Amino acid sequence: MKLILTGLLAGLLAATAAKADEMAFTSWGGTTQEAQTKSWAAPFEASSGIKVLQDGPTDYGKLKAMVDAGNVTWDVVDVEMDFAIKAAKDGLLEPIDYAVVPKADLDPRFSNEHAVGSFYYSFVLAWNKGAVPGEPTGWADMFDTKKFPGKRTFYKWSAPGVIEIALLADGVPADKLYPLDLDRAFKKLDTIKSDIVWWGGGAESQQLIASGEAAFGQLWNGRVFALQQDGTDVGVAWNQNLTAADVLVVPKGAKNKGSAMKFLAAATSPTGQAKFAEASGYAPINTKAKAEMPADAVKALPDAHVDGQINLDMNYWAEHRDEIATRWYAWQTK
Amino acid sequence: MQGSSFRRSSIAGLPAGSGSALPALLLVGLFFIVPVVALLLRSVTDPEPGLQNYAALFGSGTYVRVFLNTFLVASVVTAVTIVVAFPVAWMLAIMPPALGSIVFGIIILSMWTNLLTRTYAWMVLLQRTGVINRALMALGIIHEPLPLINNLAGVTIGMVYIMLPFMILPLVGTLRAIDPMTLRAAALCGASPFEAFRRILLPLSLPGIAAGGLMVFVMSLGYFVTPALLGGTSNMMLAEMIAQTVQSLLNWGLGSAAAFVLLVVTMALYAIQLRLVGASRAGGGI
Repeated sequence: MKLILTGLLAGLLAATAAKADEMAFTSWGGTTQEAQTKSWAAPFEASSGIKVLQDGPTDYGKLKAMVDAGNVTWDVVDVEMDFAIKAAKDGLLEPIDYAVVPKADLDPRFSNEHAVGSFYYSFVLAWNKGAVPGEPTGWADMFDTKKFPGKRTFYKWSAPGVIEIALLADGVPADKLYPLDLDRAFKKLDTIKSDIVWWGGGAESQQLIASGEAAFGQLWNGRVFALQQDGTDVGVAWNQNLTAADVLVVPKGAKNKGSAMKFLAAATSPTGQAKFAEASGYAPINTKAKAEMPADAVKALPDAHVDGQINLDMNYWAEHRDEIATRWYAWQTK
Repeated sequence: MQGSSFRRSSIAGLPAGSGSALPALLLVGLFFIVPVVALLLRSVTDPEPGLQNYAALFGSGTYVRVFLNTFLVASVVTAVTIVVAFPVAWMLAIMPPALGSIVFGIIILSMWTNLLTRTYAWMVLLQRTGVINRALMALGIIHEPLPLINNLAGVTIGMVYIMLPFMILPLVGTLRAIDPMTLRAAALCGASPFEAFRRILLPLSLPGIAAGGLMVFVMSLGYFVTPALLGGTSNMMLAEMIAQTVQSLLNWGLGSAAAFVLLVVTMALYAIQLRLVGASRAGGGI
């Protein structure tokens, strides 16, 4: 379904994207892409006169197919950082033109030759206050079905996060997480497997927690932020929050590469990053952005919770992506 | 002109009027045969020429398990659909035509509503905090929410609901063709209603059941949206697995191989059914 939809959309875009004053931006939909549209695309359209067409959701299979077929209709794509590292190695990405994109103020953790940071986020433990008695304080509580009964929700796809959570809950110290002990992680996950409800996308995670369908779960901090903005009674534990990043990439052979680089410059500028961070609750990757944000918006960011914060190792994941995914889906379908 | 083209068709052994099927044949050729050939090629060339994708497919416990589960789900859905559809089809067959067409309209109407919308509606109904569980708990019938979603029960309920029209339509055709006098004759000969159903109605309606059943089974094999939304990962079906292989692992070769195996199995099933029921009846009363 997703494939068909994106296929149709991409087909429609293909008919129009070749025009010089247009480019296509692809992201994950929902509240995140809305914030990107508002904070990056709209001001960029006004200042440059280049129309930014929105497409989505991001689909790695689609991206590879476009590059392989030599018919690339996406110009800038928001992807997970571990994918970007792997995709660059596989020759799927254009190098970033740092003559156009100012590099000086970008957080070096999230930008490299083929990718420039989009935002960074934390996986946090969130819960529906009406469905959970007491306050969970760390990932171990999600594996304690006696103390905290109810369904728990985790990210469905093979990606940095859940494996690390299981290991942390099993007592592995944060600095000993890598290389990941998959056997140990799956054994730990087995203990709560029948209580897990998987979420496949951000909106689904919000729906599961807000309705109480899942009492608690591992959520992207921005999605929890959006729930709280809506007045939903959700608790959040920042202890052991796990950071990961999204980056912006330009697929190899993108038709509007010049416009794409200009868009990247705008999106990663202090103002673009500040506006997006304020709207989404995700952290800026431009070190000058926070100076342009209201003080209370800064408090909602993962940066405000560096105590007990753990950085997911994107390079490790990029290297072991396929191997972990094979184990992950084998375990999940068992 | 007309006559000569008629003669030409006759010489080629084709029935008259075959020419007007040309647009449909072109469409199928262009948008089905060509992609299928591309799929097959991809499965034996990506990432390198050889049968390694098929070896990986059958050597992987995951894929074999997902394959078996796909057939299990499709079988359960087909069986339940037949049982639920039969009384409805029978009622439609013996109803006064005016009333029948209203009921028919209601059944068809459900097919016109967007599939995704209907599946989301089932999520709202079936989840732990959903309408059904809340109502049953408020009535004191249950004390814990029933697990109706993210499992085989959820997939079965959602898919049976979607498949019902595809079973009812061919079945009504077959049942309408049965002379009601045969049932009266059975009763006169002393058959109980159940015996009349088992020995008269059921055997006579078999072609309709077979046609509808095959259609439901084959459609279920390739289903994506409903199992993905209402099922759990331990009931994952092949379509979702293929999507993951392609989207997350970027393994187009393996995904193509899996899709091709599914296609071959489906065609084999159709061939078997043609042989069992006979080509002329395979289309049932549609």
